[in-house]
Amino acid sequence: MIRMHRVTKRFPGGTEALSNVSLRVDTGALAFLTGPSGAGKSTLLRLIARLERPTRGRIMVNGRDLETLPRRQEPQFRRSIGLVFQDHRLLFDRPVHANVALPLEILGYRRAEARKRVRAALDKVGLLQKENAQPQTLSAGEQQRVGIARAIVHRPALLLADEPTGNLDPGLSREIMQLFLDFNRVGMTALIASHNLELISALGRPMLHLENGSLEARHVTQPRSAG
Amino acid sequence: MKDAGDRAGCLEAWLYNHADAARRSLWRRLHAPGQTLILVAVLGFILALPAYLWLLLENARALSADVDHEPRIALYLDDTAEETVSAAAARIDAWPGVARVVTTGSEEALATYRASLPDPALLDWLEDNPLPAIIEVLPLERSPEAVGALERQLADLLPEATIVSDHEWVRQLGALHAAGLRVLLVIGALLALGVTLILAVASAAELRERREEISIARITGATDCFLRRPSLYGGLLLGLGGGLFSLILLWVGVLLTREPVEGAAVVFGLPFAFAGPEARIGLILIGAGLVLGWIGGRLGSAAALWD
Repeated sequence: MIRMHRVTKRFPGGTEALSNVSLRVDTGALAFLTGPSGAGKSTLLRLIARLERPTRGRIMVNGRDLETLPRRQEPQFRRSIGLVFQDHRLLFDRPVHANVALPLEILGYRRAEARKRVRAALDKVGLLQKENAQPQTLSAGEQQRVGIARAIVHRPALLLADEPTGNLDPGLSREIMQLFLDFNRVGMTALIASHNLELISALGRPMLHLENGSLEARHVTQPRSAG
Repeated sequence: MKDAGDRAGCLEAWLYNHADAARRSLWRRLHAPGQTLILVAVLGFILALPAYLWLLLENARALSADVDHEPRIALYLDDTAEETVSAAAARIDAWPGVARVVTTGSEEALATYRASLPDPALLDWLEDNPLPAIIEVLPLERSPEAVGALERQLADLLPEATIVSDHEWVRQLGALHAAGLRVLLVIGALLALGVTLILAVASAAELRERREEISIARITGATDCFLRRPSLYGGLLLGLGGGLFSLILLWVGVLLTREPVEGAAVVFGLPFAFAGPEARIGLILIGAGLVLGWIGGRLGSAAALWD
């Protein structure tokens, strides 16, 4: 699903966020990306979603070479990815269901069908009863779950999550991670950046450790038994 | 993972997206009534102004056409023998561009003049008849060009005659009308450019307010077309409103002007009916509003998305 070959990302000003990173995540796998703050986890996820371009190296995602992907095909490519952010990035001018429906609007789903899918996604994250609530009335954990529902509502092939439990207490964090395991069980490939080593090491899934822009473990295969 | 069967077909999805964008644009316009009314008023005013000036020009042209029902060219001939005048008149009458020739000899003119005086005996003091013979020529064709050509022909035939054409002022009016149309075109183009830029700025400002939504939509796979669409429909809605409002303004202008202009025409002995805008004008105004609104939305969204 994801292949990176000798990828380097240097920002203007000379800061090198990633140095010569190579990795492979197979379709159907779930892996955690660990490392301290500033290790380059977010940059790596942004490169995979093509929100950034590498300075050097090659990235293949879902069979597409991002180096040769034309700009006009970028939207189409991004539709195969679900993105979860640490700060949720919800729209506070509309209720929960409209936030979750955004990817379906872009894909042109009929209103009734979109409603059905939004309700299914909210049900999965345990927020069906809050579908008409305004995001600002929800707790941080609930807001994060709305963000997750939005990321998976269009059933993307790949889910990328950047510190999804960064602001949550341990109990909520475990719940959120359990959601990702559930999505992975039905076939969604996932790469989750987290610095919460204690939590993710208990889940028994592969970890890719980034330190100062360099990567340790590199190849993640699909586990035989789902966790 | 994706089950395409649940999704609308490509064309249907595209149509649905358009319908949805139009609905959202309408909703946004209705939820910002102050801004919407101001933009509609600006657009309406800017469309109505050149349309009103054009209407005035057209009415002026209609007035000249009314007066111009029978242009005539008069040739005044001093000290010319009756026979010469008759011969020239007969020759002119045979020309293909001439409808009719009326000749008034100098003696006949004096007799008419004498009859009009309260004391005809006064004329007996004159040694000679001071009045010229007159040949009045009515052209077959009424266009300024045909009348002008006939005038030149007459001047060649009778170089000694003084030629007075009552068609001259119609020609002057025609020239003024053409110049007026050109000025109007320039004013209209400048106003259209101005209002398009106003709409573009408004549309860009609206998109900037939705920056967060656009950023998330882009990450989720929205194309620029998708993001631009609400601005285009917003522009079309403003354009439609502006076009309709300009039509109302135009009618108000016509109703305020009609009575005094018709009254003034009567005073000048030129009775005519001041014509209001035809349905065609309404369609042009609404069409112009839609086009300007669309261009404004397109420019504004392009600028905002580019930023």
